[in-house]
Amino acid sequence: MNETTPPPSKPGDDYAPVVGISQEDTATLRMLEGKAADKTARDYEHIVWAYGVLWALFAAYGLFLWRRSARLRADMNDLQRALDRTADRR
Amino acid sequence: MTDPMPDAEPRPAPVAAAGFRLSSVLPDLCLLAAIPLLVYSVHRVFMSTPIEQSMGTAFKIFFFHVPMGWLCMLMALIAGIAAAVQLRLRSSGAAAVALAAAEIGFVTGLGVLLTGPIWGNATWGRPWTGDARQVSTALLWLVIVAYLLLRHYGPRSSDRLAAALAIFGAVNVPIIYYAVKLWKTLHPSTGVVGSLPPEMWATFWPGLGGLLLVSLGLLGLRIRQLRLADELDAAWVQLEDPR
Repeated sequence: MNETTPPPSKPGDDYAPVVGISQEDTATLRMLEGKAADKTARDYEHIVWAYGVLWALFAAYGLFLWRRSARLRADMNDLQRALDRTADRR
Repeated sequence: MTDPMPDAEPRPAPVAAAGFRLSSVLPDLCLLAAIPLLVYSVHRVFMSTPIEQSMGTAFKIFFFHVPMGWLCMLMALIAGIAAAVQLRLRSSGAAAVALAAAEIGFVTGLGVLLTGPIWGNATWGRPWTGDARQVSTALLWLVIVAYLLLRHYGPRSSDRLAAALAIFGAVNVPIIYYAVKLWKTLHPSTGVVGSLPPEMWATFWPGLGGLLLVSLGLLGLRIRQLRLADELDAAWVQLEDPR
């Protein structure tokens, strides 16, 4: 057992100041974190807009196709009725 | 009025009898298969994809902006080839394929032209920079718009002019692809997708696959509608003039 053990602390010596993180550094860090969070939030806003535009376009085209289908179905029904009338006349 | 397509293929039989064919359910299958892929893709984009270092979170727009650009180019190519077949063979089927592909190209082109500036605004600080790829993509979209206006509102005799426009649009596709090599642009080089790290690669392909399936499904549905509309027109003509 050659492990080095820390010297026994003296009474009242349990506080060690954090080296390198002054109040100014902490303030700068917080400011940068805030800026990064703002940028991420703005980016997500852009992403949601882009996604929204994309799905709105596909939805609009889907609606266009659905309306065309309804019109075609109505046209087919008209044709069927016209064919029935022609058959009745014969 | 003279027939604008005197050598056209014989008119289709009035409203073909319904029967099961794989081609008739293929568009619906494509749309169904797209659902899990798109859900997985969206999940990956927001939950599993790391943030790109230089562009930040806004880079996530890449995962659907690029597929939309590719799909727009694919649809322009399909429209151009189908229009060439239409001109050569006077085929109404090819005319339907060209029109349907141009419509999907319009939607995906508008998608890429809207999502691009949103992304550009987030990363470049400006939505539009007049970059060669932006301009050539906008030009392709305008050609598609001109083609659609001619097909929807032009007289029947304008079909050939419209077909020529669709071919012109298809010729524009390689120009868009190589624009980043030919001119100085802000867009990255053509090999950017191949150089993605594996975790971004794994997000890109499901999104591309899902959007491709949606586009192919819608394309199939639209072709079916256009063919049915042709058959109905022919049936009405036959009913009113049974000679």
